[in-house]
Amino acid sequence: MNKSEIFADGFWHNNTVFAQLLGMCPLLGVTTSAENGFWMGAATILVLIGSNLVVSLVRGVIPKNVRIPAYITIIAAFVTVVEMAMNAWMHEMYLVLGLFIPLIVVNCAILGRAEAFASKNSVIDSLVDALAIGTGFTFALLLLGGVRELLGQGELFGFSVFGASYPDVLMFILPPGAFIALGFILAGINIFNAQMQRRSDERTRVANAALAALAAEVAAVEVSS
Amino acid sequence: MKIDRDQIRMVIALFVVAVIAAAVTGLTDIFTREPIAAAQRQALHKALQQVLPVHSNDAQAAKITVNGTTIYPAKNSNDQLTGLAWEVTAPDGYSGSIRILVGLRTDGSVHAIRITHHRETPGLGDGIVNNSAWLDNFVGQGLTSKTWKVQKDGGDFDQFTGATITPRAVVKAVKGALEFFHDHHDAILERVMLAQTPDKTTTNGGQH
Repeated sequence: MNKSEIFADGFWHNNTVFAQLLGMCPLLGVTTSAENGFWMGAATILVLIGSNLVVSLVRGVIPKNVRIPAYITIIAAFVTVVEMAMNAWMHEMYLVLGLFIPLIVVNCAILGRAEAFASKNSVIDSLVDALAIGTGFTFALLLLGGVRELLGQGELFGFSVFGASYPDVLMFILPPGAFIALGFILAGINIFNAQMQRRSDERTRVANAALAALAAEVAAVEVSS
Repeated sequence: MKIDRDQIRMVIALFVVAVIAAAVTGLTDIFTREPIAAAQRQALHKALQQVLPVHSNDAQAAKITVNGTTIYPAKNSNDQLTGLAWEVTAPDGYSGSIRILVGLRTDGSVHAIRITHHRETPGLGDGIVNNSAWLDNFVGQGLTSKTWKVQKDGGDFDQFTGATITPRAVVKAVKGALEFFHDHHDAILERVMLAQTPDKTTTNGGQH
């Protein structure tokens, strides 16, 4: 895969949220506003870049049997560094995100990238992958946070969009709203992807359908015989 | 039992990773400790400015401790006590405890209160943070001037639609602060007086 393929794969086709449905805990937990989503995403990008870089550097050095505890230690170290840095220089956002920052350690998306990509690819490719996965995750957080903030409070990044008369739809700020909004976003993305798919390989689709019909016929014959 | 080379390699690899991780986090701690303390001081300073009457001293530096409570006294330029502030914790918030910085006047009435920490439901219970009009209900109130309960419980303080638990917890905690002042009035004033003497000898400048 070349760099742009790696990026497209990490950002869209294999998006942490939209394709893999990983990292649900921070996704649903912090996205009460677009700003929270953005900073959570930024923290995750930093950790991903660090962990992918180091894991890629030490690939082949760490014995296979102990790679998972080694990766987790590396990830935990980066998370701790990011947490302390945020506490020091972004104190107010640190107070808002609170517990969700240390919880980046157990965001399986990060360990997943270390295991599935960085441990098998070059340093440069791993950095591209970290950036792609990280921005893709941030995009998802931003989208969900924006939708919930907009519908829940009529604001975006704290600025009023629908005016003061907007009746706050509290449900979207509360946890159930996170699930509902995510469901609709996923549905929309699936529709979009399906349409792209249809347009790009109409012929393959027809062929596949014919193949499937044939397979069903064969199965039916087998059952009846 | 024979230890093969693979096992030794595993141990060494994990050991090295752990040592490096510890070193990195340790170094970060050294570099961020002072900025974190500064950020916390700054946050407290901002909150103190909001809850204390106009003062000319560094209330944070002048802190005293009475019965395990850290109290920040406010003084005017004549070194007279104008108010006191300390943080109280309402353990019975809707989700976790709520910390409230309560600023009192010397007559034992509330000057202002601010919520410093909470995990209340966004858009519902967290109205206590954003709703300065509600927080202003407390201004000027003493132990006897109000019935320290929410209206639902027969008191004088509004609850919000759909959120009774949060205001109830806050009212109770602020009342607790007033009672603390009432009960330990003499001890607090004595401690402030004691702290005054060394304060005068040192250069009493605003550090901020």
